[in-house]
Amino acid sequence: MGKGELSLASDELQMAVLASVAISGALVGSFLVLKRMTMLANALSHTILLGIVLVFLINPSDDLYYNIPLFLVASVLVGAATAFLTEFLNSTLNLQVDASIGLTFTSLFALGIVLITVLTRNAHIGTEVVMGNVDALQREDLYWALGIALFNAIFIYLFFKEYLITTFDSGLAQVIGFSPALFSYLLMGQTSITVVSGFRAVGVLMVLALLTAPTLIARQLTHRFKRLILLACLIGILTALIGVALSRHLLSVYGIALSTGGVTVCVISAFYLITIILTRLYKQSYVSPHTSS
Amino acid sequence: MDFTLFDYFTDPVLRAPTIGSMLMGLAAGLIGVVVYLRKESLLGETLSHAAFPGAIAGIFVASFLGFTEDITTLFMLLGAGITAFASIYLVNWLQVKVRVPSDAALCFVLAATFGVGITAASQMQFTHAAEYRRMLSLLYGQTATMTDFHIALYGILATSIIVILALLHKEVKIVAFDRNYAFSLGIPVKAIESIFFFLVVLAVIIGIRTVGVVLMSAMLIAPAVSARQFTNRLSTVFLLAGLFGICAGFIGNYLSLTLTHSFSSATTRVSIPTGPTIVLTAATLCLFALICAPERGLASRAWRIMLFRYRCLCENILKCIWRLSPEDGTLTQELVKYFNTSPSLVRLALHSLKRQGWIQNISHQVWRLTPDGKIKAEKIVRLHRLWEVYLADYLGVGAEKVHRNAEEMEHIITPELEEALTKLLKDPKTDPHHQPIPSKNPVL
Repeated sequence: MGKGELSLASDELQMAVLASVAISGALVGSFLVLKRMTMLANALSHTILLGIVLVFLINPSDDLYYNIPLFLVASVLVGAATAFLTEFLNSTLNLQVDASIGLTFTSLFALGIVLITVLTRNAHIGTEVVMGNVDALQREDLYWALGIALFNAIFIYLFFKEYLITTFDSGLAQVIGFSPALFSYLLMGQTSITVVSGFRAVGVLMVLALLTAPTLIARQLTHRFKRLILLACLIGILTALIGVALSRHLLSVYGIALSTGGVTVCVISAFYLITIILTRLYKQSYVSPHTSS
Repeated sequence: MDFTLFDYFTDPVLRAPTIGSMLMGLAAGLIGVVVYLRKESLLGETLSHAAFPGAIAGIFVASFLGFTEDITTLFMLLGAGITAFASIYLVNWLQVKVRVPSDAALCFVLAATFGVGITAASQMQFTHAAEYRRMLSLLYGQTATMTDFHIALYGILATSIIVILALLHKEVKIVAFDRNYAFSLGIPVKAIESIFFFLVVLAVIIGIRTVGVVLMSAMLIAPAVSARQFTNRLSTVFLLAGLFGICAGFIGNYLSLTLTHSFSSATTRVSIPTGPTIVLTAATLCLFALICAPERGLASRAWRIMLFRYRCLCENILKCIWRLSPEDGTLTQELVKYFNTSPSLVRLALHSLKRQGWIQNISHQVWRLTPDGKIKAEKIVRLHRLWEVYLADYLGVGAEKVHRNAEEMEHIITPELEEALTKLLKDPKTDPHHQPIPSKNPVL
């Protein structure tokens, strides 16, 4: 089956990969949510399929995900292309922004589906891309996921001030001399590689959950930015651990086989709803005039 | 396997996918106009993804209760409708009560509901393989197994959309274009908006089988955008959108069948999925409309701009000849020096001017203004200098800056504006550069 030692990925491997993806997601997602770029991230996670097609054209192989470095480059290129096309529809063709994004990524995704079905002569490839296949994870995937998470962390650490200012006050950033557009593109590049690191584990659409939910949960708990990022990472890691554990538990004890990626998304969604309810209750009791202390 | 066009509508295997896709295109196109007007295209994306878990639940319940194929379909559509409709309220709650930015709310609900759906579907992967395949077919649609039952069902749903939109067309107009005015008129805006969402959900339900949940939002956007490029009247937009939707549905279906046929050989069967093909057809139509539509299209706009620039060049040439030497001729080469466009374009412009009667050839490549040309040239110069007076004396712009702007304005000042300027500035005789302003000319 490949380079791994086990034919079925061990729980530890799954947890590690998912946790790495969650860290990447939390880091990049914090900026995405604050910059209101999550829909663009949604678009990128769809059009990455064209990146897969590109890699497949250059390097046809039976294992679709064989050549990860090439895939990383292809995904960044396709991400840039998505952004350019959206901007072209918006400015040159005078199409309103929501329709531009919606039209661009769905048609590129449709193109990707058709091409990949024709090229791989496999009609089921579309569902694999969307659902992921956490049982087929191997050591190599872990190294890449960790590497990408590390890269994201270092990149954000190095450019923290620039990202911060272009997020919160892009006018000021421009006046000082930073280019908000440049950092938006850099962020999109980071989003692309994050989606690459995650799509084999949870599928492209659920990487979006890992990009948005940790930040949203953390936002309920704090308003300080560095704390937000840290909390989001922790929540992401926790979700990954619980997700894999829960999925394994349900399989061993109840005999129910569920998609681990799906379970992870369910777990983080439940976390979010619980957090909202708890914080609202806490706030209600806090501001109540009858609080004793 | 040679089918005539007629076969697509009559053959028992082909007619359901064909007509089903066309009905989907019609429904999506129509309600897509409302979605487009309200700028809620991304809500359509979330809605269609949110329909997925409900559809799964419907299939699960129906198969658990051992119902037939058709009843299962009904359950699936009902479940899809319920979760899709509920997701609207979830997004709204997140935005309003929890104060989440709108795009993050949409993305979260999209991803979360989809994840729930995938989880539920995965449960059946090994236990109920047939149902599992059926659930996965909802991702990108699967028209091949549609039956006449589907035609009837989608026909009813599409007709409902048409009827409701027709009955409420006045309210649709007001609520879509000026929400606050609608409130002030006493129109139940919230109820109308709920009806809008309901209709979108209906369209999504129809589309779930044809193009699937992942791609449905494209069908809500593309036909409406295409239609908008051709007209300003709302009723025409609705008509065209429905038409484009139907075309996309038919052509996409047709293409996927013929391409499947040509890509497959005796040994391998490559089936081109219908849903994505329909979406690609709709998107191509849309791109074509955005570029080639008369008036609004990019090509039309570029053509108009080019014509305008050419007219400006001609008028500038007239001015140039007038300034250089009204009586003796002007050499073409001399003129070319004043313009930084290609000499051939200048020569072309000179010939156009000659054809229109503003200039004449004294001898080869030597030009002179005709009497009409002289009047026209003076008129343009008058407009230029009048505008300079307006900017410099009336608005207080520095005299060194007014020339640039006047160079542009001289080509677009209308006679009414000239009249008003003359009155306002009290018919000035010199411009800020101390050059005489030609007097008001008789109409040519």
